[in-house]
Amino acid sequence: MAVSSIAGVSDVAAANRPMRSRSPYPGWFFLPAAIIYSVLFLAPTFASLYFSLTRWTLFDSTFIGLDNFVQFFREPFLVQGLVNTVIYAVVTSSLKVVIGMLLAVMLTSQIMARGYLRSVIFFPVLVSTVGVGITFTVLMHPTAGAINQGLALIGIKGPGWLVDPKLALYSVALVDVWKGVGLATVIYIAGLVAIPRDYYEAARIDGATPLQNFFYVTLPLCRPATATVITLSFIGGLRTFDLIWAMTKGGPGFASDTVASVIYKQYQAGFYGLSTAGNVVLFILIAVLVVPLTMFLNRKQGHE
Amino acid sequence: MAGLELKSLRKNYGGVEVIKGVDLSIEHGEFVVFVGPSGCGKSTLLRMIAGLEDITGGELRIGDRVVNHVEPRDRGIAMVFQSYALYPHMTVYDNVGFGLKLAKTPKDVRDKKIRDAARILQMEHLLDRKPSQLSGGQRQRVAIGRAIVRQPEVFLFDEPLSNLDAALRVDMRMELSKLHNDLGATMIYVTHDQVEAMTLADKIVVLNAGVVQQVGSPIELYKKPANLFVAGFIGSPKMNFIDVTVQSIDAGTVTIVGKDISPVAIPADASGISVGDTVTLGIRPHELSNASTGSIVGQVMLVERLGNETIVNIALPSGSSWLAVLDGDHRLAIGQSFALAFDANAGIIFDKTGKARHPAG
Repeated sequence: MAVSSIAGVSDVAAANRPMRSRSPYPGWFFLPAAIIYSVLFLAPTFASLYFSLTRWTLFDSTFIGLDNFVQFFREPFLVQGLVNTVIYAVVTSSLKVVIGMLLAVMLTSQIMARGYLRSVIFFPVLVSTVGVGITFTVLMHPTAGAINQGLALIGIKGPGWLVDPKLALYSVALVDVWKGVGLATVIYIAGLVAIPRDYYEAARIDGATPLQNFFYVTLPLCRPATATVITLSFIGGLRTFDLIWAMTKGGPGFASDTVASVIYKQYQAGFYGLSTAGNVVLFILIAVLVVPLTMFLNRKQGHE
Repeated sequence: MAGLELKSLRKNYGGVEVIKGVDLSIEHGEFVVFVGPSGCGKSTLLRMIAGLEDITGGELRIGDRVVNHVEPRDRGIAMVFQSYALYPHMTVYDNVGFGLKLAKTPKDVRDKKIRDAARILQMEHLLDRKPSQLSGGQRQRVAIGRAIVRQPEVFLFDEPLSNLDAALRVDMRMELSKLHNDLGATMIYVTHDQVEAMTLADKIVVLNAGVVQQVGSPIELYKKPANLFVAGFIGSPKMNFIDVTVQSIDAGTVTIVGKDISPVAIPADASGISVGDTVTLGIRPHELSNASTGSIVGQVMLVERLGNETIVNIALPSGSSWLAVLDGDHRLAIGQSFALAFDANAGIIFDKTGKARHPAG
């Protein structure tokens, strides 16, 4: 028994050794990155966990247990904020997946001005979110905005994009998609060009139509890209703040409030401990939704 | 019943002509191998037949139809790719049945065909697996299965064995040969491996730089190569060449002499050749033997003893080196003098243009 267990241990050690010696760099090379990561990320994270349990004035903090969390969940519009956050994340990420993939399919096929169009579609990603927000606020003005004026020209009475409580959140989500779809497209383009041409040629000989090509070859084979786009845009959607703040400030009323904007409002009001507790809640919300999602998306499916 | 007819088939990429007018006729049920060095256009020619490359000029017939502008799926062909092109997200069953599914074949018919193909290829136990769970040889089998279920009139293979190890390649070669006999379909096979070509083909098409060099049975190509290129490409080890001068011409023979060789009368078609011309003499390494009275004398540079035969590398006085394959085991010292003899009938004369001058008859 003892002998076999020792043999087992040495087997494990033998199996581990080549793995370790494979890295050509000494272990302490990771120290600079570890220090930066600890100071800028780990320390604030743990500090915020602590401050979420205190009444905090930035200069002084008093430990109050879970009072901040209790208070945060009593916020009258928090539930709507939570629902809005999830709606926003689902709408933006699904639209980015669908539109991003279609654009990528178009931009990897033989079309004119392909390189130019790729730049055009990526361009909004480079623009400041606040700038985009302000611009679209003007464009979406119910009477003077270019969008509604344009619609009026063809006889359609445009809606109050940002002033209609039922529409405001979706209007902001659309702008988010406009701004972010370029990144999704770029990720998809990378995924699509990595699919070997042989697959399409084999499908062509088998008589696949372009639509069958898309559903049987392209869609399943660019799943890694889809997983990346969904994960990135879903996380981005859950923690969205800047665009909402620039366009509606959570309004009209609280109609387009998300968790992040609720937190910001509390922060503005000087409830630092409370808003930090809100951030911890947001962190947990993201983790609870995204971890199972990515596990599902990245499950093995016989890919090599 | 489908043979193929290629008439002055051409392919240009921009201004570059890669297939320069290929004429070829393939009978129904023939196993034809396109062979040639990398970049000779053999894969392009196959892809033109498949319909994956446009035809720039000429005419391609499969059966009695001109198919220049017919979609690949309607040409009655199936193709096995070098990479196998198995869909990683589908099981073997789905991979094999993919074409039938696209063609909306009823499920029961599809199932029967898939299982029939699996039985022919002895891979029934693999049907539920994904390609990543298969070995190279098994993947190859699945790729062939995918071609079989379509019941094509013509099978196209694009270097299908090049990703397999040497032992497996020999096995798969035999299986392909057997499959050809069983199915009786026309098969066109592309390879750069002349051993594969020699063992599989009914008819070999040797290509170089987009031009057909010779079409013929393996033995015909081996014994009567049309030119220097085919002579050098077919046969292993390579044919030995030496530049010689024509000393005299008699009825049906040309007597040659050179720095490395004493005068020998070689049976050849002498038309157009005059005394004093420089021509090339080619002799296969297997045709050489060791004889004290040999017409070629050189120095042993390297000896490879394989037991059943001995491969000797000999340096000739002019500096060129020749290979001789001697039957049985021979113990030879490096640097020793070595005389080679050969049957004059085994020598082939190539004229200045590289064309072989085989004797008439």
